[in-house]
Amino acid sequence: MIRDKNLRAVASLFLAGNRRHLAAGMALSLSTVLAGMALLGLSGWFITATAIAGLSLGTALAFDVFAPSAGIRFLALARTAARYGERIATHDATLAILAELRERLFRGWAEARAARALIARPARLLFRLTVDIDALDTLYLRVMVPLLSAMGAALAAAIALGFLSPLLGLATGLFLLTAGLGVPVLAARMARKPARRRAHALEALRARSIDLVRGQTELVMANRAGAQRAAILAADKRLAEADDDLNRIEAGSGVALGIAGSALLAAVLLASAQLAQAGAIGAPAAAFALLIGLTAIEPFTALRRGAVEIGRAMLAVRRIGPRLRVQERETPAAGQSCDGSIRLAHVSALHTGCDHPALYDLSLNIAPGERVALIGDSGAGKSSLLALLAGELMLTGGNIEASPATLLTQRTELFRDTLGGNLRLAAPAATDADLRLALEAAGLAEFVDTLPLGLNTLLGEGGAGLSAGQARRLALARLLLRGSPVWLFDEPTEGLDGKTARDVIARVFARAGHRTLIVATHIRREAEGADRILLMECGRVIRDARRGSAEYQDLLVGLRPD
Amino acid sequence: MTSVDATIGQRRDKRKASASSHLPDAHKAAENVVEKVNVTALVLQTTASLLWIPQAGLLSISVGTIAAGAGFHAALWPALGIFLLGALRAIADGAGARLAFRDARSRLSGMREKAVETAASASPLDTGRAASGLVASTLAEQAEAVVPYVAKFRPARFKAMIVPLVILACVFALSWTAALILLVAAPLIPIFMALVGWRAKEASERQLAEMGDMNAFLLDRLRGLATIRSFGAVDGTATRLRRNAEDLRRRTMAVLRIAFLSSAVLELFSALGVAMVAVYVGFHLLGELDFGAWGGKLSLAQGLFILLLSPAFFEPLRELSAVWHDRASGKAALEALQKLAAPGRPLPDALSAAPLAQAETPALSVTVEDLRFRFDEEAPLVFDAFSLDVKPGERIALLAPSGGGKSTLLALLAGLAKADAGTIRIGGEPMQERTAAKLRSQMAWVSQEPHLFAGTLLSNITLGRPLEAATVEKAIAAARLAPLAAARGNIPIGENGLGLSGGEALRLALARAAASPGAGLILADEPTAHLDSTTASGITQTLLDISVGRTLIVATHDPELASRMDRVIVLGQPVIQRSRP
Repeated sequence: MIRDKNLRAVASLFLAGNRRHLAAGMALSLSTVLAGMALLGLSGWFITATAIAGLSLGTALAFDVFAPSAGIRFLALARTAARYGERIATHDATLAILAELRERLFRGWAEARAARALIARPARLLFRLTVDIDALDTLYLRVMVPLLSAMGAALAAAIALGFLSPLLGLATGLFLLTAGLGVPVLAARMARKPARRRAHALEALRARSIDLVRGQTELVMANRAGAQRAAILAADKRLAEADDDLNRIEAGSGVALGIAGSALLAAVLLASAQLAQAGAIGAPAAAFALLIGLTAIEPFTALRRGAVEIGRAMLAVRRIGPRLRVQERETPAAGQSCDGSIRLAHVSALHTGCDHPALYDLSLNIAPGERVALIGDSGAGKSSLLALLAGELMLTGGNIEASPATLLTQRTELFRDTLGGNLRLAAPAATDADLRLALEAAGLAEFVDTLPLGLNTLLGEGGAGLSAGQARRLALARLLLRGSPVWLFDEPTEGLDGKTARDVIARVFARAGHRTLIVATHIRREAEGADRILLMECGRVIRDARRGSAEYQDLLVGLRPD
Repeated sequence: MTSVDATIGQRRDKRKASASSHLPDAHKAAENVVEKVNVTALVLQTTASLLWIPQAGLLSISVGTIAAGAGFHAALWPALGIFLLGALRAIADGAGARLAFRDARSRLSGMREKAVETAASASPLDTGRAASGLVASTLAEQAEAVVPYVAKFRPARFKAMIVPLVILACVFALSWTAALILLVAAPLIPIFMALVGWRAKEASERQLAEMGDMNAFLLDRLRGLATIRSFGAVDGTATRLRRNAEDLRRRTMAVLRIAFLSSAVLELFSALGVAMVAVYVGFHLLGELDFGAWGGKLSLAQGLFILLLSPAFFEPLRELSAVWHDRASGKAALEALQKLAAPGRPLPDALSAAPLAQAETPALSVTVEDLRFRFDEEAPLVFDAFSLDVKPGERIALLAPSGGGKSTLLALLAGLAKADAGTIRIGGEPMQERTAAKLRSQMAWVSQEPHLFAGTLLSNITLGRPLEAATVEKAIAAARLAPLAAARGNIPIGENGLGLSGGEALRLALARAAASPGAGLILADEPTAHLDSTTASGITQTLLDISVGRTLIVATHDPELASRMDRVIVLGQPVIQRSRP
């Protein structure tokens, strides 16, 4: 049932706006196969007929050589053209599917619950995603296209031979369908388990290799590096076994199809000899039948590879399908206000996969324009509170009334795009002048001016190419472009040197204006400018101190100096 | 990344230069792997192709006899022969392919083993050490490209050399004209492919690589999903992703339209070759072209035989051209594996299977005399004539600015690299190649950002060591990890699972250290960096608790942690600051 739904989701993806390309690819592939069959069949008939006609001068002169020889030349050209068209059409269709797939997958993952799962365990999910996308190609290129051309070839062979003898045509057609489809179907069934084992072993090999390199010191110190090497080699051994199973199945089905093809050829020979003896057909027709019998099984051999790969593709369908299906409606958890005020009453919230609440019976009022530092040990609920305000965490109890908020995440998240493109994420309509102002405010304008391409400078993956400080400033400039009434910061200067950090903080406070500002931190410099310090523990606010109070000083002193 | 790695990160630019110098070797070695493919496999697959010749002979003779009016019975024996030859052909081809596959697959395992060996035994102080992501993707996905290339390329090339020649000889024996047609068509293929195709093909490969980049684009955006959601830019990003993909599709198709011409040339000449042979033979049999058969006239069976052999003449070329696609990725994979397997600075005794010291070890002394070390020959000295004397049970803080050699010293004490000169003695025993593993088993290591292994929390503490349950429980209690272990002890963490907070990860590292009853020396590398002050002081206390009765050496920036030690040593080395590349 679930698999059906996933398969339907993938099928709808394939068909969305793509029917024409898909159909063209399959039709051209079929034409290639048919033209090839006809070329050999006609040639065989032609040679045999001319040989017989050539026996006497009279028949030789009467023989119409031009139609068949023109036909042969035409088929040779048609086959080439069809093959070329097939490759163009199937590639175009595949690229179109990939484009569609990427957009849909992105939207699927961006939906709230999926996004939370992704953020919780990015390494595995992202890695799986890439291999799954690659595995989906198989469905069209190696299964749908060859399947259609093989069936078409079988039908054409059955009809062609049916003209000579209906029984021969019917038998040939049935045999081609039974053996030609039966072998790949059987192979696909046998390959299902090894294909999955293979996918899992590859994943294990990858994870263990990462552990070996990144955890090398720990392993060596525990005298376990040898054991880790053995574990990687064990994963390779499982991979090799699965590979071997799959290869045996592929080679075995090739042998089976080869034997079936030879049996068909021998049977067609006997049948045409019988028909010729009975005077039903002549030698040219017999040659034609043999060459059709010879070529009809060949398209089925193209299904072998698809048969062993379809197990992996179906695994991908199962994993990707849920992200392609219609997404849940996102209901804003927060009642909206726009002045920058925040009111929480008895709020509880849970992280998926955790059984203890991240926030518990939390009540809190923050006035518009207030600047709040959020402190507490790791795990106290600071990040959870920010996530809740940013709309990333669902309420499990209580009430919330908050203004739209923008979060500057703890990890600087930049993208492979131009500098300007990274900034316009926050404000798609911003002009270059707007961007410059934001850069100036973040203290990055001078640096950008030194770049030959300026705002059009391309950044690498995750914003590679900038130093940590520059990256942080760019993220800050991006935030400054955003007009939302609440700004949330999660340890905004972690990992920056003291001078840069102070400069960044000063700029944030200078630009915040009437906005409400919430900074989760454990560093003194980040909390110093706050009107109010909230100390969290176990998902609740346990102390709430305003600037000027002794408690405020107390809390501030308890924070880490630079 | 441990801080040892961090120190090295700054020196990573050097390795690119040294890596490229391995290239020609790796290239040659890659070629060697392909050339060593099982000969039986070659012979079997080539024989399979050649078996078509007698099969085609029987087919044409049968048609000849049918034309001559012989009946059903005359076809019986040829039919049986056709079937048996065909079956034999299928089996020989399958067996050859299997042999070649198994051979290639076992080669891949061998290469993986070598690469893993090097990765496991390269010192963390080796500046040329490959990053974990690169090692993983080379070992796992990229390496997969080796098998199709190694298993198919040489058999296909061998077939392409032998089979067309044999067929040509057979055709030539009957008709020099037909042979000439084939002979003219065949070399034209590479020539035209070269004219139309090679450059376009290169362009198309680049374009397809860019297509693979689309995955990277998607992943890049998914990694920053929190930000994209926060800016309400989901829709815009999705549209952008789509537009990029569509753009790329248009550009790719423009290139492919030309690139595919090269394979169309192959198709065209083989189809035209077959067609011209058919037409020539037909006209010849009619008597209109009475040359080309050595003065005689072809019989029907001979004519058909020539026709049946013509497609088989081109088939190996087509196969070779299909395998050619696997070549680039296969070669790249082979070279990447060879490069990983090239040895660098060794980690002494890394893969030793020396038994763990199980009994409680008394606190160990540490003496360093005249230590000298540098990362590589052109780099400045990190240590020169450095000496240190730590008494058993002493607690020492090593203070130095970043790049001052704290982490390097810890790594050298742990025997993670060989010093250039000088001696290090742990508990009086010198650190040497053969003693390193044994000495390490008497130490415990706490790193600043402990690596989380793919597995459960418990397996992350034991790391697969044969520890008694009571030892592990005591270690968990000592590291104050009990609440976490109770809540999440059996949930996967690490590469495949959830992360831990900085404090939790540090406690995990402390539990790992506490679960080494045989450790008389604890080395801790900036254990409180990146932690808030409450967590940091908790970690400091736990570290002191578990080091009771042991020697403790801590590299740190944290004045509070340093103040809790018996002695502070400031490394007086010249500071080497290098900016990241």
